[in-house]
Amino acid sequence: MIFIRSILLFLAFISPLNANTIYDLIKIPNLEIYETNTENKLRYLYATKPFRLGVGIKKNIHCSNSDKKTLDNKYKIINRNLNRYSSKFLKKINLKYIVLCENLFIAKINTAGIPNNLIRTLILDIKFNKTYFERAIHHEVFHIISDSYKELFNEDEWKNFNKKNFKYTKCSTCNNKWNLNLYNETNGFFTEYAKSTASEDMAEVFSHLMFYRNEIDSNDPIINKKIKFIKKNISKIDNNFRF
Amino acid sequence: MIKKIKISISEKIILIFVIMLGIFSLTSLMIIGEKCLFVKNYNPDDIQFDNPQNIAVLNADCGNVIIELYPNVSPNSVKRFKILIRSGAYDDAAFHRVIENKLIQTGDLEFGKRENLDYGKVGTGKSGLGTIKSETNENFKFKKGSVGLARTFQMNTEDSQFFIILKDEPLYEGEYTPVGKVLYGMEVLDKIKFISKMPIVPRPDFINSFKMLN
Repeated sequence: MIFIRSILLFLAFISPLNANTIYDLIKIPNLEIYETNTENKLRYLYATKPFRLGVGIKKNIHCSNSDKKTLDNKYKIINRNLNRYSSKFLKKINLKYIVLCENLFIAKINTAGIPNNLIRTLILDIKFNKTYFERAIHHEVFHIISDSYKELFNEDEWKNFNKKNFKYTKCSTCNNKWNLNLYNETNGFFTEYAKSTASEDMAEVFSHLMFYRNEIDSNDPIINKKIKFIKKNISKIDNNFRF
Repeated sequence: MIKKIKISISEKIILIFVIMLGIFSLTSLMIIGEKCLFVKNYNPDDIQFDNPQNIAVLNADCGNVIIELYPNVSPNSVKRFKILIRSGAYDDAAFHRVIENKLIQTGDLEFGKRENLDYGKVGTGKSGLGTIKSETNENFKFKKGSVGLARTFQMNTEDSQFFIILKDEPLYEGEYTPVGKVLYGMEVLDKIKFISKMPIVPRPDFINSFKMLN
């Protein structure tokens, strides 16, 4: 028994030491600093090599490094959008690190971003569909917000806004053919993707409010209730927040 | 009859060269083995400090590390740090996590003391005083020599463990609670034992004593 313990201890000691500060902080490998000198104290990191994340040996999240030109171009867009959130607000919602990489996949489904409020990080796919890219940034930020304030964004309360016979699907990644186009006739939902889960529906409402800078004029009573709900609860987090 | 053989001049030269080489090798080994040979040991009594009440002196194998604490930056954390220093809690604590040219971590009072060092658990120990809230400060620059309180992956889990950085770490700003900065004795820290590619140092160096100046 002592022999086995000694071997295990030895193996633990000779495991590679990752002295990388970024890895120590957010447990994502192969990252370097892109920009840290930002107005709202966000820290932008980029992948220097592809990385995989996840629990156990499966590691079902992966993303690749990008070329400098793409990084520089997309950083401008991302920074312009994220600069709309104050440092005070970002601190409240637990967002500090933005990881820039391309071809971000979770369980083999391409995704615009993966938020994680526990490590205060948002991974963004900078090659995500250009049409939706900017709005998707705000969509993912909302997931950070709602994960940090679960009590404010109660899904049962939200579900009551929908028609009685409507039911969300079991998960947002059960189907990779959701459409992100804005409906002509909203009928309670901005996009087809909003019908996937209550959480995605909230994120879609939030992202539309951010993207269209609060200029949404809807006759849809369900949409209006949802907008009111989002605005009310965001103001509880930060009274000075402006869409 | 046995004929006496005389040593030639060239043989004498070779013999002297071999003896000198031996002496040189032995001396070199002694010098290399003495890791503290060229390390300056600062005596705090010889130095004038602006805030002597905030000066702490950590003594390690190669000499003193003189640290200024910053109660104005992190009042509660420095208060806790001073309590532990004054109680002598850090004496004989291992420098259990040392990463070459990056940082030195110590202060595990449960599993990292000389008399009961537990390699399997060192780095996870507590002080018994409970955790305290993080006092991060975006404006504090984590420059070489800065001293910060270690924590788990989550905020507000600081206790007794602390680290000293051996190079500037701008990403630590707003992440860790700063408690002070090394004024003198960085070269003492450079001599703390580390093992490449090992996160925990086997048979580590220890803090001999850690005291407040006043």
